[in-house]
Amino acid sequence: MSVKYIPVQWNRFKWGYDAALLVGVGLFLWIFVDLAPGILSHDRPISPQIHNARAFGACAFLMMTIVLCMGPLARLDRRFLPLLYNRRHFGVMTAVVALSHAYFVLNWYFAASPTDKFVAAIGSNTSFGQISGFPFEALGIFALISLLVLAATSHDFWMKFLTPPVWKSLHYLIYPAYAAVVGHIMLGTLQDQSHQGFTIVVAASAALVGGLHIAAGLRERRSLPSTAGWQALCPPDQIEDGRARIAMLPDGNRVAVFRHGDKLSAIANACAHQNGPLGEGRILDCLVTCPWHGFQYDVTNGQSPAPFTEKIPTYRIKIEDGMVFVDPDANPPGTFVEPLVAPLSEVSS
Amino acid sequence: MTLADGLISFAGWWLTLGAGVAAAFLLIGIDGIDEDADGAYAFRPLLIPGILLIWPLVLWRWLRIKTGAGHWLHRYQPPRAVHFPVAILFAAALAFAVLAGLAVRQEWPSDIQPERLSEAGQ
Repeated sequence: MSVKYIPVQWNRFKWGYDAALLVGVGLFLWIFVDLAPGILSHDRPISPQIHNARAFGACAFLMMTIVLCMGPLARLDRRFLPLLYNRRHFGVMTAVVALSHAYFVLNWYFAASPTDKFVAAIGSNTSFGQISGFPFEALGIFALISLLVLAATSHDFWMKFLTPPVWKSLHYLIYPAYAAVVGHIMLGTLQDQSHQGFTIVVAASAALVGGLHIAAGLRERRSLPSTAGWQALCPPDQIEDGRARIAMLPDGNRVAVFRHGDKLSAIANACAHQNGPLGEGRILDCLVTCPWHGFQYDVTNGQSPAPFTEKIPTYRIKIEDGMVFVDPDANPPGTFVEPLVAPLSEVSS
Repeated sequence: MTLADGLISFAGWWLTLGAGVAAAFLLIGIDGIDEDADGAYAFRPLLIPGILLIWPLVLWRWLRIKTGAGHWLHRYQPPRAVHFPVAILFAAALAFAVLAGLAVRQEWPSDIQPERLSEAGQ
């Protein structure tokens, strides 16, 4: 199966998402630059360049906070899943806004330097051995480079080319980048005690992002009953016909248990193409369709329909005490597993 | 040459070499390693920034694919098992950044009026 790359995969939902994103960024900047310039607590008169730098910096921080909340929110509540579907555009826009912040800073604070402005930005403060007076510029530069790497490697091509393990490891950069941004703000502009309101906003944002990540992790790791190593999922009647329930296994991989009429089958949640979330797809004509690029698999054997050759692992399942259990040891990709009969009428009664 | 000069010079060389890798990869290499890219040209300029930034990784993956190195099954096993430890470290780093920033905030004297040391315009 082959899906030719195109520059941007837009659809009606993504058009709306991107439009809302652009309007939101424009509105934020309009409010902070033109409508209520005093909201950023400028005690002393400042130049338009500094004003722009602060507005774009605040916008980039807010966008990073929102984009980092999307993942754990979607894991805690499926209703947030639509936010995830176009997260890459949100990330790219965040990188552009952060780059604009750096542009205004460089061309104001370092523009009059007798040395090159890039050299001045890096070399003006080198007190790395202390917290007070720490060169917060370096934290901002690290975060900006990280955001640029993430944005530049967000196209579908990159995950397939680098492989999901490498791509995912690279994109873990978002975590140190956000921590660096919080440090950049706390050790930079918020050293001025007059910014109490903004200090509370930054601390609350950091607490929200950190707390959501831990809450989502705990939710996925909560101890479900297990027998002889089999992982419990849910009562069979909680799986909607044609849809799946997704569970995290002890090795960190996710399994999707599908209902197709009165039968249950379990396959790996990651599509063989680009690790799209198969468990969010719907079964049509006995095949589950990946919501990302439309790759299809027979849920009983994990194989794409002929003439395609993609295969994914399958899992054995059983029902005990009214619960569906999954064997965490995956079968080799393409292995047929007899579907488990679990009529809705019987299990519901 | 200062360290800052050296870093900027290094960045220049990095991007220059990256431009060479981007030209070779997008004009010659990509067609032979990804069937989805075969005949697809409009998206290729979008890859240039990424290649400029991570070109050593691009060269490594290019070589791995051409030589068939690595087990194919590994590509479907992203490092999800480390997600929770990463989340804990992440939350700890955020707490440290906030507390460190608050701890070293300085109380500026608010009752001292500024004193002009020279006349305006001098």
